[in-house]
Amino acid sequence: MMASIRFHGRGGQGAVTASKLLAEVAYMSGYYSQSMPFFGAERRGAPVIAFTRISDEPLFETSQVYHPNIVVVLDPVILRAVDIFSGVKEGGTVIINTTKKPEDFEFEQDYLNIITVDATGVAIENDLLLAGLPVVNTPMLGPLIRAFELLNMPLKLELLERVVTRKFGKAGMKNVSAIKQAYERAEMKTIRGKRKRKRRKKEKITVEFPISFPSEGVAGKTKMWRDFRPEIDYEKCNDCLSCWLHCPESAIRVNDRVEIDYEYCKGCLVCSAICPKRAVKTGREVFA
Amino acid sequence: MNVRILTGNESAAYSAMKSMVRVVAAYPITPATPVVETVAKLVESGEMQAKMIRVESEHSAMAACIGASTAGSRTFTATSSHGLAYMHEMLHWATNARTPVVMAVANRAIGPGWNIWADLSDALSQRDTGWIQLYCSGNQEIYDTIAMAYRLAEDRKVLLPAMVCYDGFVLSHTAMPVEITDFEGFLEEYNPKWRLDADNPFTHGNILPPEPFAELRHNIQKAHDRALKIMKKIEDEFYEFTKRETPLIIEEYRTEDADIVIVTMGAIASEAKIAVNSLREKKVKAGLLRIKSFRPFPEKDVKNYLEGKRVYVFDRAISPGSGGQLFREIRSALAFSDVKSVVPRVVGIGGIDVTKRTIEKAIFERKIWIKEVVA
Repeated sequence: MMASIRFHGRGGQGAVTASKLLAEVAYMSGYYSQSMPFFGAERRGAPVIAFTRISDEPLFETSQVYHPNIVVVLDPVILRAVDIFSGVKEGGTVIINTTKKPEDFEFEQDYLNIITVDATGVAIENDLLLAGLPVVNTPMLGPLIRAFELLNMPLKLELLERVVTRKFGKAGMKNVSAIKQAYERAEMKTIRGKRKRKRRKKEKITVEFPISFPSEGVAGKTKMWRDFRPEIDYEKCNDCLSCWLHCPESAIRVNDRVEIDYEYCKGCLVCSAICPKRAVKTGREVFA
Repeated sequence: MNVRILTGNESAAYSAMKSMVRVVAAYPITPATPVVETVAKLVESGEMQAKMIRVESEHSAMAACIGASTAGSRTFTATSSHGLAYMHEMLHWATNARTPVVMAVANRAIGPGWNIWADLSDALSQRDTGWIQLYCSGNQEIYDTIAMAYRLAEDRKVLLPAMVCYDGFVLSHTAMPVEITDFEGFLEEYNPKWRLDADNPFTHGNILPPEPFAELRHNIQKAHDRALKIMKKIEDEFYEFTKRETPLIIEEYRTEDADIVIVTMGAIASEAKIAVNSLREKKVKAGLLRIKSFRPFPEKDVKNYLEGKRVYVFDRAISPGSGGQLFREIRSALAFSDVKSVVPRVVGIGGIDVTKRTIEKAIFERKIWIKEVVA
């Protein structure tokens, strides 16, 4: 029996770490395991994926997972950009960090087990913060143990706790209590899929020369990558254009005054650091 | 048993430590960067007794390795793609100087068309530099192969540099359980035949007129021939020492009664094992031959295993104007043997995912074979 797990997260949230921790726990529980991140042009905030395979027979796979048994979604914002249900096996389990209920999700499969848990809330309650942001990767491992119970491949919660404490040292205890809380608070339901199956068309690409032309937002609308939101205080701004010059994404437009294009701003805050008048204020960005 | 969950890069770094490497000169490049990072961490913590030389380019990294090796230390470096291409001149130097440097290469495509993903074209374009090239298909194998490569490279009858190659990201960033064994007993501290010595001065790498130079090159060819025999000995000794069957030359999987044999290198070979099993469930008697040692090329073994079979060669690189490099090698090795046919396919270029379906589909597309094979 082989179980494959797909993690969805955003750069910096620790999807890769979570997949590696899970592989370690599985190995300690007596299974063969493998953790495989998919790397692209990842940066803080960009959607990322990672895979884990767990099996009672030796693993020879070196390809990505296309039909996972379990999907873990670390950030609800991902739902807008990526189809998290893509390829999930019938009767599989999808674990989502959200304040919504399991009934609120639609998918193409006949039925899936949906587990919802407010891992962000759990992280904040347990003071599990890194650089001011809630750490959601470890709490999400709690409900994951539940998904393995469904698969008849029990992983021990104690082993997970041991691996986490060894990995994080002092902060280990906070992580452990968050994992336990998330495990208990997780809400699970088996849901029938309602969405109609769509056939996806593959775009035909022709590349004869390695050239590309300037275009807006080749990576899509990158506002999703933003954890912080810059705001210009026009009382202080003297139109020196330093922010326009230094913005790495050209997301600052100059019309009658300088304006931030919030569709593409990734929240790197270079503008705030560079502003001689300190006219760019920063605050937390909340999408979900 | 000390088992840890390590990525391919980490296994390479740990193996260098356990192989008693004393000098590391490296310049980071994706996807080989974590090798350099891990080595730096191990040296910093005092766990690894080595000197880490920071250099300004890959060209200098290899030059520093050659220097350190001629001074009598066991040296290690790691690179990838453009870094390896940049080393090209020094790679020739390392061979002709007969310095047993071992290098980890995380295979990656070469730009432009900026691509950081798995593709064997970087290492295969260094095919003719005279380096021993070993292609791994798992993390435990990377760990084992580096130690075995030192044994091979430093053998007095070989004295050649060796590359230990593994697919970038596919292996370099995938974590798997790896058994960390000490190599003390299997490997000893490096004891060179000669070393640069200020008290006993001599010249190294001086001008060589045509005849002596031809002889130098001829000796390198002979060293490669001897290497194949020594590899077999090292395989046995390694098994005695660790009880792990790690091949150095070739790995065979269910070829004996096979009608169709898949031939490939690197991580694809691992996935191909699943394809072989799945094909056999579909009544196609398939087998797998993995070439681990691309240089020296084990021509005789290839002939032995592929005699009378249908051969499908999967290449993860292409030599434009000629086709897959491995295919050409296999084809020429089988030129005078009795094989049914040899068919090429280039897959996984620039990191395209190679799944068991890719391999199965390729075989089922060859309908003439399927008709002959499935009665």
